[in-house]
Amino acid sequence: MKILALVLFGILLIACSLSALAEPQSSSAPKQSKPASPGDAMQADDGERRFKENCGRCHNPPDSISPREAKAVVRHMRVRASLTAEDEKKILKFLAP
Amino acid sequence: MNRAFVLMLGMLCAAAGLYGQADVPILSGALAFKGSNTGGVSAFQPELVPVIAAPFGQHWLIEGRGELQGFIARQDGTTGPYSGQFFATFDYAQVDYIANSHLTITAGRFLTPFNVYNERYPLWVANLADSPIIYTIGTRTSGSSNGGMLRGVAVAREKWTLTYAAYFSAASTTENLQAGRSAGGRVGLFLPQAGFEIGTSYQRFLQNGDFNSSGGYLTWQPPQIPLDVRGEYAHSPAGHGYWLEGAYRLSPNRDMNTILSRVQAVARVQQFFKGTPNPVAQLPTVNVNQYDLGLNYWFPHNIRLNGSYGRQFSSAGNANVWNFELVYRFLFPAWPGGSK
Repeated sequence: MKILALVLFGILLIACSLSALAEPQSSSAPKQSKPASPGDAMQADDGERRFKENCGRCHNPPDSISPREAKAVVRHMRVRASLTAEDEKKILKFLAP
Repeated sequence: MNRAFVLMLGMLCAAAGLYGQADVPILSGALAFKGSNTGGVSAFQPELVPVIAAPFGQHWLIEGRGELQGFIARQDGTTGPYSGQFFATFDYAQVDYIANSHLTITAGRFLTPFNVYNERYPLWVANLADSPIIYTIGTRTSGSSNGGMLRGVAVAREKWTLTYAAYFSAASTTENLQAGRSAGGRVGLFLPQAGFEIGTSYQRFLQNGDFNSSGGYLTWQPPQIPLDVRGEYAHSPAGHGYWLEGAYRLSPNRDMNTILSRVQAVARVQQFFKGTPNPVAQLPTVNVNQYDLGLNYWFPHNIRLNGSYGRQFSSAGNANVWNFELVYRFLFPAWPGGSK
């Protein structure tokens, strides 16, 4: 049963990995994204600052992340790292403009 | 093992129910292989740590983390054939209601918020492969708690924030879901512009003769240089001690654009002073000093190699501690189409 559980979990993981790899990556690295307007640029700068001050204490920005993934990532880290609502909004804007 | 697997599947199914909304669940975590030699005894530990996070609406989050871990060592310590055991645990499986910046209500199984090592430094964030000696203080029986927690940012200013966490846990001896009956909390002061945080923790363990644990922590990442300082102190009737770690990346900033900038040198010093032995505490029964030196190297695609050497001094005998660890950090959308 243990082996079966491990095998099933492995298959699930591989399936998820393959599906992710099969999808074209529509977003670039957060650092390479270009904001649409000066207002967006300011928000992205503020988001980058907040990312560095909070998230950057433990890790770098992910290589590539889509807006839909970013929401889950930032929501997860809001709880884990005690971020404010403003931090969540600005960092989300920085990761997925 | 079976319960952990069923729980993980259950969380995936719950997340699947949310598929179709704009918020796609993510499957994250790490795949690692660790080798160690402590006092001549070698062991190998393959490990898979999947994390799932599924936000829904503006206020809710379901998240969970499991650990599938192997432990392969010689049957008689230094002689005999290698044999392996496999373990599965559920670190957390929680529902979070984020009321506002000041309050998040968590229910379920969560990481016990005592100091910060337990919550913030999973294997893909920790600078050294070995946990500190005092790690078990305030986090027993399993590092996780089953119950409820309130947490958030009590006060947020531009130059400082005050964070808190308070929880209660019920006792559980269920396989893979062990927890102690306890209550406690943590308060932290963070100065974002200086990259400095300091905090304190308290826990009242409400079983095995009720006892208190307390502690303090600091982290410092000065913005000007890629230095990472972390440290904790913890006290319990079974002993007290501290660890202090410094890590420096060979880079003018925190980017990883060159080979050298992908290298990080780490040093850690720790001391433990024994108290009244208590089997629940999972602490040494002798005084221990340990000094570690390590190197981290980040390959592209979120792969990190870590190697370290430590020297442990105790009345039970001195020992060399060698570790190496290869960690692959992954992040995928849990369902097809999520990367769009």
